[in-house]
This record gives sequence, C-alpha cells and structure tokens, in this order.
Amino acid sequence: MARTLVVQLARLGDLIQTIPAITALRMANPEGGLDLLCPSSLAPIGRLIPGIDQMLEWDGAVWHRWAKEASAGLLPTHVERATKQLEALARHRYGTAYVLNHHRRALLVGSVLADDIRGPLLDGPLGSTLSPWASYVREVAHTGRGCRVHLADAFCGLCGVLPPGEPPMLRRPLCPLPSGLDQIGRRGEPWIGLIVGAGAVERLVPVDIWKELIIRFLESAPHGRVVLLGEEWERGRRIQDLLPSLLLGRVWDVTGRTSLLELVSVLGRCHLVIGSDTGPLHLAAAVGITVIGWYCGLARVHETGPYGVGHVVWQAEEPIDKSSRRRTDIRPSRWPIEETILFLLRGKGALPAAVAPGWSVWTSHCDRWGAYYTESGSLSSPPPEREALWAELSPFVLR
Amino acid sequence: MNNLPDNLPWLRKTAPALAEAVRAAPGGVLSLLPSREGTVTAKHGDRWIHSSYDPRKEARAWANAQFKEWKDDEVGVGLGVGLLYHVEALASLKQDGRRLAVIVPDVSELKDALDARPLGSWPETIEWIWGEPEDMARRLADFGKPLRFMTYAPAAGLHEAIHRAVEAALRRMVASRQSGQLRMAVVGPLYGGSLPIARYVISALESLGHRVTWIDHSIHHTSYERFDSYREIRHRLTMQNRFVELLSLDTAARLAEDPPDLVLAIAQAPLTAGVLAHLRKKKFLTAMWFVENYRHLTYWQQMASHYDHWFVIQRGECFEAFRRAGAPQVHYLPMAADPQVFYPSPLTDDEQREYGADVSFVGAGYQNRRVLLPCWLSPEWTFKLWGNAWEGAADLTSVLQRGGARIDTQTCRKVFSATTINLNLHSYDGPSLDPQADFVNPRTFELAACGAFQLVDERSLLPDLFTDQEIVRFRSADEVPHLIRRWLHDHEARRAVAEAARHRVLAHHTYRHRMEELLAVIGLRYPDRIGAILRGDRNAGALADRAETPSELATWLGRFRRDQRVELKDIADEIRAKGAGRRLAREELLILLLDSYRSETRDLV
Repeated sequence: MARTLVVQLARLGDLIQTIPAITALRMANPEGGLDLLCPSSLAPIGRLIPGIDQMLEWDGAVWHRWAKEASAGLLPTHVERATKQLEALARHRYGTAYVLNHHRRALLVGSVLADDIRGPLLDGPLGSTLSPWASYVREVAHTGRGCRVHLADAFCGLCGVLPPGEPPMLRRPLCPLPSGLDQIGRRGEPWIGLIVGAGAVERLVPVDIWKELIIRFLESAPHGRVVLLGEEWERGRRIQDLLPSLLLGRVWDVTGRTSLLELVSVLGRCHLVIGSDTGPLHLAAAVGITVIGWYCGLARVHETGPYGVGHVVWQAEEPIDKSSRRRTDIRPSRWPIEETILFLLRGKGALPAAVAPGWSVWTSHCDRWGAYYTESGSLSSPPPEREALWAELSPFVLR
Repeated sequence: MNNLPDNLPWLRKTAPALAEAVRAAPGGVLSLLPSREGTVTAKHGDRWIHSSYDPRKEARAWANAQFKEWKDDEVGVGLGVGLLYHVEALASLKQDGRRLAVIVPDVSELKDALDARPLGSWPETIEWIWGEPEDMARRLADFGKPLRFMTYAPAAGLHEAIHRAVEAALRRMVASRQSGQLRMAVVGPLYGGSLPIARYVISALESLGHRVTWIDHSIHHTSYERFDSYREIRHRLTMQNRFVELLSLDTAARLAEDPPDLVLAIAQAPLTAGVLAHLRKKKFLTAMWFVENYRHLTYWQQMASHYDHWFVIQRGECFEAFRRAGAPQVHYLPMAADPQVFYPSPLTDDEQREYGADVSFVGAGYQNRRVLLPCWLSPEWTFKLWGNAWEGAADLTSVLQRGGARIDTQTCRKVFSATTINLNLHSYDGPSLDPQADFVNPRTFELAACGAFQLVDERSLLPDLFTDQEIVRFRSADEVPHLIRRWLHDHEARRAVAEAARHRVLAHHTYRHRMEELLAVIGLRYPDRIGAILRGDRNAGALADRAETPSELATWLGRFRRDQRVELKDIADEIRAKGAGRRLAREELLILLLDSYRSETRDLV
C-alpha cells in the first residue's frame, strides 16, 4: 500500500497545530505508512509526534543556495542535483501528500514527492481554486470572523479526517538537561514559565509588563519560581535588569540557551506556562502543561488557542466596528496582570472574577469536533455551529 | 643535473617543435642550488623562484589552493615555469579529463627545468603553449572552454610583459567571440562630465545585446543642488552627504529587486563604501570605470578596496596607487567616442557661418586655457571660443561665443565639423601645459569621430591610441601658431589626417570596443560566471545541446530562441504560463521549486 506524507514547512506553532491531523490520519489508517516532512530545524520536535513512522527533514538553506546559483545561470546540473537531493530525502514515492501550508513551495514539494496532493488547492500546485477548508481558513484569517473551528481542526479537514476527539500529546524527550538547567522544577513551587518573545511584533508583551507580573507573582507566592523562556535572550536580559536584586535568585533565565528538545524538557518541568500566541506556548500545551495565553495583535483564541483541556486565554477584545470587514490588530492599553496572579494563586475558581477591562477570559475544551473555548461566566456547552460547518465542508468525512 | 637527455623525449612526443627549440636554446636563465631538504631549487638573480627550504611542499600548498577554484569543465592555464614543481603538484591533483596548459614564455627557462631534475612521465599530460604572444593567445582561445589562470607568481614575475601581451591578445579574441547576454546595472553619477559617458556606456552595452538597467541618479540633481542654498557650509555638506547615502541605499534596493550579473559604476556614482561592502557580501560583482584624472579626484582612495574591478584611464603610477589603496584588480581602459553621437555633420550655409572659424576651441575655462589660448589668437586666422566658466577672461571676450553659455552635444558636433582647425588642450589648473600629461581626454576621440581636424597637446598615452598620421600633436605652447599656419591652408592634408583618425576611432575606439574589452577582462577573471554567459554557454541552444540536460528541460529550452539567454526565472514563467491544468513532470516541479526560493527578495536594505 502506498505511503502517506504530511507536509508542514511552516514554523513551530504550525507544526504543533498539525499534531491532531497526524493523530487523526493515524487513527484512520493504523497500519499504513505515515511520514512527516518538516523543516530540518524542527525535526527534533517532529520526532516526538506519535504516529509518525519516518521524519523527512527539509533543508531550506540548501535550496536557497542552489536557487541562488541557478538564478546566476541555470545549468542542467542544477536540476540533476536537486533530483538527487529529493531521491536521498524520500526513498519511495508517496501515494498521497497532505500539504498543510498555503505556500506554493509546499505544494510543489508535495507534488514532487507524491502521486496525489491534498491541501489548500484543488487543481495542483499551479492552480488557484481553494479547497473548501482552505477557503474557510482564508476567510477567517482575513476577517477574524468564522465558525470557531480551530486551525488544527481545519488541518484535519484539509486531510479529510475528523479531529481525534482527545487532545494528542507529544512524547517527552529522553535527553537529560545540562547541569545548569537541571535544577529547574526541582525545589520550590509553583514554577511558572514565561515565554518572553513572540514571532510577531504586535504580539510582544512589553518587558515592563513581564517585570510587573514577575514581581507580583514572586511577592504573592513565597516558594514560587519563574523561568524566562524563548530565543530572545536580549529580552530576557532586559527583564532581569529591571527586577529587584533580591528576587533574582528565584528567576531562571534560559532564553537563547536551550535547544528545542531542552526547551521541551524545561517546559515539562514547569507547573504552568504563560505567553502570547507563540510556538513555545503551543509546545507547552502539547506536552501536557497548562498554559495561560495573553492573546492580542491578530491572534484569536478560537483559531489558534492552546489545543487541549483546561488552558486559559485572556483575549484582548477588539472595539466593536461592524463596518470593518478586516481583522483588527488589537494593541491592549493594559494587561491582565492582577487577574492572572489571581488565577495562579486560586486556580479556576478565580476566573469568574478575573475579567479585566478590555479583555475576555476563555477556557479550552475538546470534543469530537475538535477544540473549543468557553467564556468565563457563561455556560460551558460546546458551540453547535462547528458540526454544521463540518457537514458543509466535509460531507464525505461525516458519511 | 644533466637530466635533459631523459626528459626531452617525452616533450618530443607531445610537442616536437618545442622540444627542438629547447634543445637549441642556451639555457642558463636560472641558477640552480640545493634546497635545505636536498632537492634542487632555483634563483633568478637575487630572487628565489622556489622555496629554499622545501620546494615540493611549497608547490603542493600552492597547487591545493589553486585546485579549490578549478572547475571540471575549465582548462587550467599555468603561468610561471621555474623548475615546474608547482606544475607537477597541480598535475598530480587533476583528474583524468581535465586539461592543464602551461605558458612557456622562454624556452631557455624550460631547458633549465628539464635539465635540473628527472621529471617522469607527468609532463606528457600538459599542453605546452609557446611562441609569439598572439599565437599563444590563439591556442588558448581555440580551446573553446572556460580558462582558469593559475599564476605561480615567483616564476611568472620573470615574464610579466609577455603574460600581459598574451592576456591582451586573448581579451581581443574573447571580445570578438562574445555571444551571450549579460544582465547589467549601470550606476550613473548625479551630474558632471561622467554623466554623458554613462549614457554612451549603456548604449554600447545594449548594442552588444546585453540587458542594461540604468540606475540614473541625475534625476535627483535638482534636489542635490538645493542644498547649495544653505548659508552654513557644514549644513550643506551634511545634507549632501546624507543625500548621497540615501541614493546609495536606493541603488542597493534596486539591485536587490533585479539582481544583475555585473554592477558597473561610472565615476562619481553615489555608492558608499558601506553599501559596496554589503553588495560584496551578497556576492554582487562590481566594477568602476573611473573616467577621471586620479590625481585630481582622490575619493577613489577610500573606495579602492570596495570595487572588485577598477578600470582607469591612466597607467603606471596610477596602477600602483590604486593597488596600494587596496584595489583588487586594476585595468587600463582609455576613453572613447560614441559614433552615433559624434559623426561628421553636414552643415547649411547659415550653420557654417554661425559655427565655422579657422580655429576653434570648445571647453571650460581652466587656468591653463585662460593663459594659453590668448597666445594663439592672431589676425592671421579667425578664432571662436565655445563653452562655459570663462568669467573674467578679458583677453578672450572678443572670441567667446554665446556669452560663455554651456553648449550642448549637438552644437559641439557642429562646431567641430565647421572648424578648420580644432584645438584640443587638456585641462590643467596651472598656467602651462599639463606637466603630468598621460591620459587622453574624450574630446580627442569625439573630434576624431566627427572627422574633424585637431591639434592636441602631447599625452604619453596618445601614441598607443593614434599614430602621427592620425593626430597632430604639439609639445609646447610655442608650437601651436606654427602648426596652425602649417595646416590652415592645406585642405587635402588635413582631410587625410582627419579621415584616418575617424577610421581609427570607428575601428578601435568606440564605447562598444571599450565595453567589449571591459567584459572580456571580467569574463577571463570569472570564467564560470561572467565568462560562461559571454561565451553563450547560458543560451537556450547551448543548454539544450548539453548531454546531461533532461528531456523535459530540453523541451522547455526549445521554446526559446537558440541565441537567447535563458534563466531560471524565464523557464519558470513559461512553465507557469503553460503548465496549469496538467500534471507537471518532476523536472518542471523542481524548476518551479528553485524559482520559489529565487524570488525571495534579498535583504539588502
């Protein structure tokens, strides 16, 4: 039987959002060969995804270099070399490639490696007709309005499978942490991880706000510890510079010092992780850690909230403007520091009282239609429109 | 020693005439000495040709460095003979199929090498190039392959002049065989004398079939001039410097959006050292044609190391100065004329009256002209002076035309054609002829291209460009009146000289010739890059004919003209235009994939 390939060439967050689709594909075909193609920089994470038989690593830097050479003067050897690279990458031809990026490049890669591609376009890599699910995702991306189907579940729709029902988990890596990081999570409680950076500027939480949150938390939780996480070591350094020296012994700054696998291990040792809509936040959720999301900018909880059960998201609310058909870039004027501290100290019971002006609070759930979020203070029943959307976009799947 | 009898037979097998010449040569060019490790080494005078410690080890290091750059399809050309240690090391590295040629400028030196030590059989694999420079160049050109020159400097230095002559002949041959199309960006100045030259250069490159993007900064001249209105000089300088930095960045952004094969800047082009360094980091190839007197405009000192190639209009000390300042490559490229702009103009009677005179001078009022031109006025001939910047030149007021207004190219051409004797005095900020008279100004070529007769002040580089039968020169100011009397009434003799000069320009001194020469120099330097494109190796026909071209790619290449250069983007565009709606072949998908990476804008700004 022909093997199946999942192509995900985007960033860490997108790879994590691909896990439910991989799980659902595996459930639909427990015995079939299922491989994953992702950027080589993310391959360590890809190997932790259950259900994957083989990881294919895409080395974009090499292709960049070759493209540069070929654009200086195309030679047949350039095509020959690329052919050999692909032959080395995938030893067999795939029956189907599920392409989960809208980038033309991902569609081309899928088309080279597989007989059939399924993904955002219906008519091949040069086509322009969007598949129903891709149309839905695009509409939501442009307007911010939709039927509250999570991106990870839309990926399931692109692959022609229903969401797995239970939130899938990444395997924990076995690699030990370096001695400098090994004490994280050992003494004191709770350990709170703060993801201090963000892929997009509009989602960055100001360092002053992080400072305030850390001070308030450490003052309120005498045994609490904070770990600064992410790649942005300069932000980590700036935050430390702002903190009173008495508190520094309870703050661990590992920004820019961890490999991806080490990051997974450190996240796994935290009791709770806080951050904006970033790859590491989703990574934390995927290893089973409860996360708190501060969603602002263009991020929306219903589309890219942390996947799983029991995560909490403060969503910056956009001003009501019915005339606008475009998604609003929301820049909050204040941040839910007090409310987050309240939740950290008292747990879910504090949520009804933890609504900050300009923000709404949401809790995550999961059912057979995928992830959904309920607002604090309202009933936690799942939104009914998701089933109708699945019936409209994937009628064959439901049959 | 005495190894010649053993070594000569192999040479006789591959190059019998050379073997005979070696046998008959006196030898004795090199002094042979034992090295510290026991092998024989050599000196020429006081100069060591090979290491005095371990010539084999030194040769291996040299060969390893050269070998890294040597591509499979290139013919390696060794410069420098010595005792052939370096050639032996290189021959041991090359795989079968690669060709290695060695230039032999002096058979006596080769005789010393063959006599000095036993060589074994490796010399049979070498192609020995000897004879007159022109013959050696022809043999190299006939290889029909990219040439990779590998210079073993200690030995090559003995015959620098011959190597230069071979290279010059080769450049001429390569230039005449150019059939490929380059993508070039020409960066022009904001204003000044090099601005029209930028236009001539572009026109010449386009006439050679290259695709040229002109990054024209002259459109910003008015804004630049606005900064002159500041009362405070520091304000003016600050603003003008910032403005130039902005234009430099603008150039970088334009290059990023449409990356050329070669960036050619013309003197005064607003490119800063920082932007040039960034361009180099991004692998852009840059050249500057510095059409200025290097002694007067000295900003090149800060820029020398930042361009990959400098082309200058002076030689000798100029070369040394540029090299000392860090210029990686310096070449002589004299001025020229554009025959589409400067040509004999038929004149109406009215025009003849307006522009005509026995003697004329066209140009700006530099100090030497203000002093010398009045000495050349005479009641024996009529005299007209054209051009600007003559304020205060009271002795010349009577002959100054149009009140000293700047005149355009068309008027220049008419003056040249209407004048019996055109004076051409190179500018100098002193009261005499230029005491360091080397380069030849554009006016010399332009007058000649117009078929106009001229008297020009002596320049040391002039005899290389025109013979005495083509240009009449004066060596002192006193000579000029005598020369005017000599030529003024001898119409036939003047016509013969002027026609000869015009023929010379059309045959050798147009901007087209200069651009062919410039590209040949750079093509020889980068045989796998610029050289390959110039040879037409990247044209659709040549690519399709290559044995390793997959059939799907050959099909796409077949849709282009055989002599059309085809790039990745061109084929990708074709596939996108005609491939939608059908299943694409793997090669087509790979082309599109490579193109998707290519199309990402370079982060130059």
